[in-house]
Amino acid sequence: MHLEFICNGKKVSVDVPADMRALDLIRDVMGLTGTKEGCARGECGACTIIVNGKAVNSCLMYAVKLKGKEVFTIEGLSEESGKLHPLQEAFLEEGAVQCGFCTPGMIMSAKALLDRNPRPNEEEIEEAISGNICRCTGYAKIVKAVTRAGLGNNHG
Amino acid sequence: MNYLIPETLDQALRLISSQRNAKLIAGGTDLSVQIADSLISPEILVDISGLEELKGIEEKNGFLSLGAATTIDELVSSSILPHCLVQGAKSIGSPQIRNIGTLGGNICNASPCGDTLTPLIALGGILVLVSSSARRKVRLEDFFIGPKMTVCADNEILTEVLIEKDYLQGRSAFRMTGKRSGQVISQVNVAIWLEAGKSREIEKIRAAVGSVAPVPLRLKRVEQALKGRAVHERLLKEVSELINEEIKPISDVRATDDYRRRVTVTLFRDALEEALQGFN
Ligand SMILES: Cc1cc2nc3c(=O)[nH]c(=O)nc-3n(C[C@H](O)[C@H](O)[C@H](O)COP(=O)(O)OP(=O)(O)OC[C@H]3O[C@@H](n4cnc5c(N)ncnc54)[C@H](O)[C@@H]3O)c2cc1C
Ligand code: FES
Ligand code: FES
Repeated sequence: MHLEFICNGKKVSVDVPADMRALDLIRDVMGLTGTKEGCARGECGACTIIVNGKAVNSCLMYAVKLKGKEVFTIEGLSEESGKLHPLQEAFLEEGAVQCGFCTPGMIMSAKALLDRNPRPNEEEIEEAISGNICRCTGYAKIVKAVTRAGLGNNHG
Repeated sequence: MNYLIPETLDQALRLISSQRNAKLIAGGTDLSVQIADSLISPEILVDISGLEELKGIEEKNGFLSLGAATTIDELVSSSILPHCLVQGAKSIGSPQIRNIGTLGGNICNASPCGDTLTPLIALGGILVLVSSSARRKVRLEDFFIGPKMTVCADNEILTEVLIEKDYLQGRSAFRMTGKRSGQVISQVNVAIWLEAGKSREIEKIRAAVGSVAPVPLRLKRVEQALKGRAVHERLLKEVSELINEEIKPISDVRATDDYRRRVTVTLFRDALEEALQGFN
């Protein structure tokens, strides 16, 4: 099936099999391997992307569903110049990354939150990342990092 | 497999009545897992998640109408829905699941532990089922006929859920245990809607439990026992026994039936207490 959508600000035009998952389109066809596959059944959040402003599990979503949508993956966060997104900076500064497997999904969930609520409190952050599992960090530093990125938002 | 995206409800209805082995898909959060596990293998998926006719929450003709393709997240963010339904919707999955999963999918998937089911039974929810030749209404409590089985025919689409506006009066509460995940313990849930007087005497009440019988269950005898009476400890004991008679939980790897019975009674008492607050 043919579909067109916007990915990380650029127009994409591709043909995909009807049963292809959005996750496989992004990783295998488009080569954007920042998005990870963990459980493949909606439970770990490693595959989280943003579609029309909402965080979703790309492992549960057929690629066809991206038709006409605006999509963001972790690759869309930093600028072309290489300048990191405030969330990425905050994760580095707080040491919120260990093995890093959960990080792209975690950051996408956090971005969806900050985009609608620029200065979230701890509870709101915990809720926003409740669908993202981290086996390494124990979450405290992740919550701190998102808080820090939020505090940098002066327009909140 | 083929994937079709109709633009109108009429087109969708024509597709499912003319194509063999076609299956409706809304958010796909239940369906995609079932297909990946080869539990079902439809030849055609008909995607109804974008149909305007199935979207939105509005008041019309004395009813609150909830479109079947309304996402769980939209239910959570609504300010006009009764409390127990918002509580039930909030307890579903993760933000990512709530952003794509729909109300219609939660109902039609017919899992005995679906978290919008008991709230909607407590609120007297009515389903509107449409085919290319007919439109009918079914009470949610009559919709389920077994685990994963409903009266919805292959050529029908659930278009909306109606709640009589009377249910916006009164108060309601939802309680659940055992969030769905790899390590679930049990998934009992309870919803209660009621109206009561100042000294806790119950005027009207509807109550439902999920996961303790093959289908979500309305607790009719419990409702009868509570109606017209003031809630106090002795009455609660009596009601606990009635709950035990009405439910039929199973024992499995996750929990024994005895455990599920105790949990159900506790959840029921908690939900009742929450719903009663505010009438005192
Ligand atoms: C990780 C994870 C966690 C979850 N946690 C919970 C939870 O805590 N509580 C809970 O209740 N559920 C949970 N679910 C299940 C699921 O997300 C919900 O049931 C959701 O509401 C399903 O909606 P959907 O639109 O994705 O359904 P789909 O998968 O699109 O459809 C489900 C079924 O309903 C049918 N259908 C859909 N819409 C219609 C319609 N309008 N008319 C007729 N038939 C229709 C489809 O043909 C299919 O058989 C979870 C799922 C996952 C993957
Ligand atoms: S890979 Fe999608 S949620 Fe785990
Ligand atoms: S850093 Fe390893 S899983 Fe989160």
